[in-house]
Amino acid sequence: MSMEFLIATAIGALTWAGIYLSLRGRTFPVVLGVTMLSYAINLFLFAIGRLKVGAPPIFSEEAATYTDPLPQALVLTAIVISFGMSALVVVLSLRTFLETGTDQVDGEPDPAIDPLDGDRDEWIKRRNAHRIDMLGETRP
Amino acid sequence: MHLVLIAVLPFIGCLLLAAGGRLSRNAQTLVALAPVLAGLWFLGGTAPDILSGSVQSFRAEWVPALDLAFSLRLDGLAFLFTGLILGIGLLIVIYARFYLPGDEALGRFLSLLLLFQGAMVGISLSGNILLLLVFWELTSLSSFLLIGFRSGKAEGRQGARMALAVTGGGGLALIAGLLLLGHIAGTYELGALLARGETIQASPLYPAALILILLGCFTKSAQFPFHFWLPHAMAAPTPVSAYLHSATMVKAGVFLMARLWPVLAGTETWFYLVATTGLVTMLLAAVVGFFKQDLKGILAYSTVSHLGLMTMLLGFGTPGAAMAALFHLLNHALFKAALFMNAGIVDHEAGTRDIRKLGGLATLMPITATLGIVAAASMAGLPPLGGFLSKEMMLEEAAHTVWSGQDWLLPMLAVLAAAFSVAYSLRYIFHLYLGPKRESYPAKPHDPPLGLWAPSALLVVLTILVGLAPNTLTHALMVPAIDAVTGGRAPTFHPALWHGLTPALGMSVVAVAAGAFLLWRHTGLQRGWDVANLPDGKALFESLVERLVDAARIVSDAIHNGSLQRQLAVLFALAIALGAYGMIEGGYTPGTHETLPAHPVAIVAWLLLLSGIAAVLVAQQQRFLTLVFISVIGLVVSLAFVYLSAPDLALTQISVETVTILLMLLALNLLPKKPSRLSSMPLRLRDALIGLAGGGAVGFAAWAVMTREPNDPISTYHWENSVSGGGGHNVVNVTLVDFRGFDTFGEITVLGIAALTIFAMLQPAARGAAGQRLRAWIAELPRSPERHPMMFAVAARVLLPLATIVAIYIFLRGHNAPGGGFIAGLVASIAMLVQYMASGFEWTDARRRIDEHLLIGLGVTIAALTGLGSLIFGAPLFTSAFGHFHLPLLGDFELASAMAFDVGVGMTVIGAVMLALAELSHIAVRANKEDTGTKAAEAGPMDIDPARLRETNGETPA
Amino acid sequence: MNLSISDNLAASLIAAPIMLPSLAGTMALIFRRRRRIVAAGISIGSTALQVLIAVALLIRASQSDPTPYAMGDWPAPFGIVLVLDQLAAWMLLLTSVVGFAVATHAALTKLDRKGWNFHPIFQFQLLGINGAFLTGDLFNLFVFFEVLLIASYGLILHGQGARRLTSGVQYVVVNLTGSTLFLVGLGILYGVTGTLNMADMAARGAQLAQGDRGLFLAGGLVLIAVFALKAALLPLHLWLPRAYSSTAPAVAALFAIMTKVGAYSIIRTTPLIFGDVAEPILLPAALGTIVLGFAGMLAARGLRDLAAFGLIGSTGTLLVAIALFDGDGLAAALYYLPHTTIAAALLFLTVDLIVRWRGVEGDAIVPTPRFAGASLLAFLFLAGGVALAGLPPLSGFFGKLLILDAALVSPHAAWIWGVILVTSLIAVVALARAGSTVFWKHDDTPELPEDREPPRLVQALPCLFLLALLVGLTVFAGPATRYTQGTAAQVLDKPLYLRSVLGTATTPSPNAQGDAP
Repeated sequence: MSMEFLIATAIGALTWAGIYLSLRGRTFPVVLGVTMLSYAINLFLFAIGRLKVGAPPIFSEEAATYTDPLPQALVLTAIVISFGMSALVVVLSLRTFLETGTDQVDGEPDPAIDPLDGDRDEWIKRRNAHRIDMLGETRP
Repeated sequence: MHLVLIAVLPFIGCLLLAAGGRLSRNAQTLVALAPVLAGLWFLGGTAPDILSGSVQSFRAEWVPALDLAFSLRLDGLAFLFTGLILGIGLLIVIYARFYLPGDEALGRFLSLLLLFQGAMVGISLSGNILLLLVFWELTSLSSFLLIGFRSGKAEGRQGARMALAVTGGGGLALIAGLLLLGHIAGTYELGALLARGETIQASPLYPAALILILLGCFTKSAQFPFHFWLPHAMAAPTPVSAYLHSATMVKAGVFLMARLWPVLAGTETWFYLVATTGLVTMLLAAVVGFFKQDLKGILAYSTVSHLGLMTMLLGFGTPGAAMAALFHLLNHALFKAALFMNAGIVDHEAGTRDIRKLGGLATLMPITATLGIVAAASMAGLPPLGGFLSKEMMLEEAAHTVWSGQDWLLPMLAVLAAAFSVAYSLRYIFHLYLGPKRESYPAKPHDPPLGLWAPSALLVVLTILVGLAPNTLTHALMVPAIDAVTGGRAPTFHPALWHGLTPALGMSVVAVAAGAFLLWRHTGLQRGWDVANLPDGKALFESLVERLVDAARIVSDAIHNGSLQRQLAVLFALAIALGAYGMIEGGYTPGTHETLPAHPVAIVAWLLLLSGIAAVLVAQQQRFLTLVFISVIGLVVSLAFVYLSAPDLALTQISVETVTILLMLLALNLLPKKPSRLSSMPLRLRDALIGLAGGGAVGFAAWAVMTREPNDPISTYHWENSVSGGGGHNVVNVTLVDFRGFDTFGEITVLGIAALTIFAMLQPAARGAAGQRLRAWIAELPRSPERHPMMFAVAARVLLPLATIVAIYIFLRGHNAPGGGFIAGLVASIAMLVQYMASGFEWTDARRRIDEHLLIGLGVTIAALTGLGSLIFGAPLFTSAFGHFHLPLLGDFELASAMAFDVGVGMTVIGAVMLALAELSHIAVRANKEDTGTKAAEAGPMDIDPARLRETNGETPA
Repeated sequence: MNLSISDNLAASLIAAPIMLPSLAGTMALIFRRRRRIVAAGISIGSTALQVLIAVALLIRASQSDPTPYAMGDWPAPFGIVLVLDQLAAWMLLLTSVVGFAVATHAALTKLDRKGWNFHPIFQFQLLGINGAFLTGDLFNLFVFFEVLLIASYGLILHGQGARRLTSGVQYVVVNLTGSTLFLVGLGILYGVTGTLNMADMAARGAQLAQGDRGLFLAGGLVLIAVFALKAALLPLHLWLPRAYSSTAPAVAALFAIMTKVGAYSIIRTTPLIFGDVAEPILLPAALGTIVLGFAGMLAARGLRDLAAFGLIGSTGTLLVAIALFDGDGLAAALYYLPHTTIAAALLFLTVDLIVRWRGVEGDAIVPTPRFAGASLLAFLFLAGGVALAGLPPLSGFFGKLLILDAALVSPHAAWIWGVILVTSLIAVVALARAGSTVFWKHDDTPELPEDREPPRLVQALPCLFLLALLVGLTVFAGPATRYTQGTAAQVLDKPLYLRSVLGTATTPSPNAQGDAP
């Protein structure tokens, strides 16, 4: 078994789990899935620089060989960005749950907004809520 | 130049009226009259020139890319049509002034009317068929607004929508048709195009172009089966009907057919398409019109019928027929405009348009009656009126036209149609004006003020004069128009009341007799008609649209069901498919790069990783357990980084790991623990398969890349220039802050925005529904005996300075050894977070001196300014400036700029992390404050440790 | 290179569309403790300044070949270069004018007070978009994608409310996944070509070993999938209707540009780097997008859905023209692109005013009691609708004519013509229905609770500004099309781009202090 094989399979496994989890119906597994995917991607980006052991990209005249520093730089940037992103998505899912009381991610199509079908007061209530959403005021 | 004025004046008037909403009605009328009069004046100015057969034109480039120029062309035909548009427009404006009740916005009405007039004039003057398209669609739009002017009425809205849909739709076909035509002819300039008849008719695209163009014309001119919109457009105020349906809108189709007659007419296809459609329309509409009860309904169908007549004549394709068509264009405009105004007057004064409620008005409103009767007689084609002349010509042409070998068919049908047109005209005369007076009318009928009847009177006089002295009056006007269409191939134009005993004369005698007979038998026929109750085009159209909408809703709702799973599944599947497609397209050969043997420890770590993944999948439901597994995975990944000589990555991975997990801990204990429902088995199988494909693809890609030789990557340059150019030994860090410092700049911006967004999200969280949930949750929160464990607090205090030192150290060495601003920032912020944990929010917050927003702002600014700083040294942005200046006291300023940049990075990181976590950690407290307004010192928010929360099923009640 | 300061400043103007909003954003952030008006002032001022800068850059671009600007003075392909060409300048100008209109609208309607940090995030949003248009480096493009995305998360959630948050979660997650895919494609491309610079990648991609080509194309197509996701191309459009119809209409108006970022990236990368591999896929997808978009307009129950689907449909039309991948097609697309963006923005801003002034019905396509300011809104709605449906007298009509004209040479001309013309009719019907219901059909039932903002006509100024832009685009269609033709030629001239960007790349120039090996 070669190092490359281990890394490749690890990436594959992480991606698989990540995709599977992110296709679940509630925010928590989705968040997990996204995290998994970002692990996979970090490894992947790093791996495309080809693997080397004991040759850190610290410049010195006598260094015989070195690993490709660029992918490492890219991974660093990617890590930071995905950190910001996952922080945001975690808080967002929490916030959404607090607002709506559910953590299901699959919404349902908008209710028909026709005053003529059904109870008019009910409709006006719904429209009010709808409008508040539209104008971006938090609910009273 | 006058051409431009003629074309532009109506639009100017339109704008003036739109602006001058405050003006009095008379003033508005004058404003509306001015441009029309001026237009007529300028047109008159060109008369001597045009009527002597020459052509005036004006051209200004507009969109060369399209060969679309603002080019105007005034010849005989355009002169005739423009004259009609402006002349009748003038009368309509006056009529409208007196017709519209005081409470209706005359200004808006007139301005729309002028907009429409401008569009019509544009059509008739366009010297470029693409420009013609512009005006063509403009007429559809403006007529939509005019017909819907009385928007309060449902039929007004429906009529308007239908007119727009039908004529606008036809317009779209016309776009295609004219584009094709121009493509064939190689030019869109009318002048040049008209000369290329043979090229066009020879082209294989000719039939397609012809059909598309005719679709445009037929819809506009309300030809069967597109006629149904016109009668419903009668919902418009009468001046609109009088204008749109006598002289202008509906004539546009006929005009365009005449305009393109030289290049399109003469073929079999043309004859059968156009002549047949015209014939059918003429006949059907005449029949329907005979049975209508609404005055305007009768006139509407009569209009359709007469348009059919003109279409048929043009369809014949003979110069003589074309001549007749044009002559009828003029006559019809005269009597039909008069009749619409007449019907409007009756409606205005007698209070209804229902012919069944009317009758015997002749004595009550003599002037109106006279005008109506004469005009109707002209419509019936009775001598000695204009209508008679052109109808004679029509019958003459029909008499010797053979339709697919049947020489009797066409003449007979023509006579039949003529008979019905006589019938409804006579009905208009007898059932409305003559006959017994009724004892009661909806209103008290009387003759209107001069302003209402004078315009129609003028037209009636004209139609009489045309009948009596056709040559003196119309010869000069008609001949150039006819020549423009037929290219001078038409027989000499000498309309006269008496041509001798021609077949045409016989036919019209028969027609009149039959018409009289039909009217005599009207009651019975009407009963039969009502029983037959033919399908109404409008109903069909409306139901069609409704069905279309329903279908669209079904499809659209089914597709856009707002399920995230679907969106993601599609995205993954598509990306995988595309990748695979690319692989197959491009071809693949395994690489030759020799591989590393796997160290046993590595294999163990690998197994650990896999089991970690498995554990996460299995333990999905126990949140905090999964987090532990996740961190195991993260650990293994960072180990891999260490082993594979990426120390920076390892450090970063670990520190980010810590913060992320911390964050999740904070957030998760608020999320509901129990799944409300699990996705079905097949669904999970599908997802597993997508995942498998995706994992396989990415894994393979990684393998494929790792096992091939590097393609001399640009990073060699970075390695070589790191020290000499970047002044640092840690190539990764130099890349981050120097070679690709711009990326890092963007990266910290991302971090900053993330924090700001989180802040913005959490700020209002303490209020409203969210606030209630939070309070409920706090109420449920079990209290630990000891809120701030002493040991922990002390340890934290000690930790703070240590961590700070470590951070500074990591920061300083960053440029030459693993480390740097980002990691330093993370370490520092973790240290501070520990304070929150140990001593609770209130205590720490009280001692917090920094404002995170400021920190983020300054961090990004510093980074940006460092970037900008290099400008001063005449170097591009983000040029590392070490060695630029060397101050004796402060020593060597090596790394100065890069370091400042890194400071910016660090500050942003601290600010972002602190802002996010601090906000998150004390929303609960704020929720309490919002509630009680007291300083909720107890229930320090950070007193949440996973262990405690795992016992309480913190299922937060909604 | 040590230029004189003035020359250097002049050269560095290229980076201004990125640096200016960044500074403006941070300033707005730092001064946010002062009265909000400060932040608003900074924001509007910055957008106005961006318009001027964009104009200057447009003039410069139209007079010269693509101009690279080496960040940190590291020569391409080793460092990050910004590249100013006609395409980039065109997009920058569009962004700045729409940004100006929306920023002003937000300030006038006090939308910026409905939540925190609106203006800073708004500026960063512009930063991200401008950066994406300017950069000549693929990874840098990714970074700017992230900037504009995370900023868009902030904006799309601005004001919050349950519906907005739920759709926000979806929007965020989908785009996170998109970013992940971006990195996958990018990784593969670097692994195979060993470079990140677009020009360099184009050069190297052309001379790849046969065995590497598969990976190269795979990476490219994954990237194109990501761009298609941004452009809301069928079937990757699923995220858009919900996201755009549940956020504040004004924000959606700005986001009319976002779909164009995707379109831009396709225009930028496909002819240059990946070649014609994507063509067979793009055209059918684009046609489908048009159909579904305009059908969605017909199905819409609210004006915001109407606008959102209209945006999808018109973007589809745009992508059809792009998918022709020839000079005329691109020229047509580039003329139609600003039109459809501005039209959609206009429609969204108008809907925003309708929602504010109309009262309880919000944007529902139902009869309303008469409300003040209706006639002005009706006019704006008509204008926006006419523009979106591509009817005369507004520029959309020319755009469609150009596209149809360009499509004549395509083997699929019949399909393209049929779809575009028929869907235009559908759009007309949908808009006529909606407009006549909202503005003409009155239901004066007394028991409706009144919650209306009094119409402040000044709030309509941004809409009128956008309308004026459309009129300008119509009147000056000649110059505009001439410019887009030049742009299309430039985009398709691969050698020119390589020459301009990589010019001296073979001999790496030493950087600032000039002591390179």
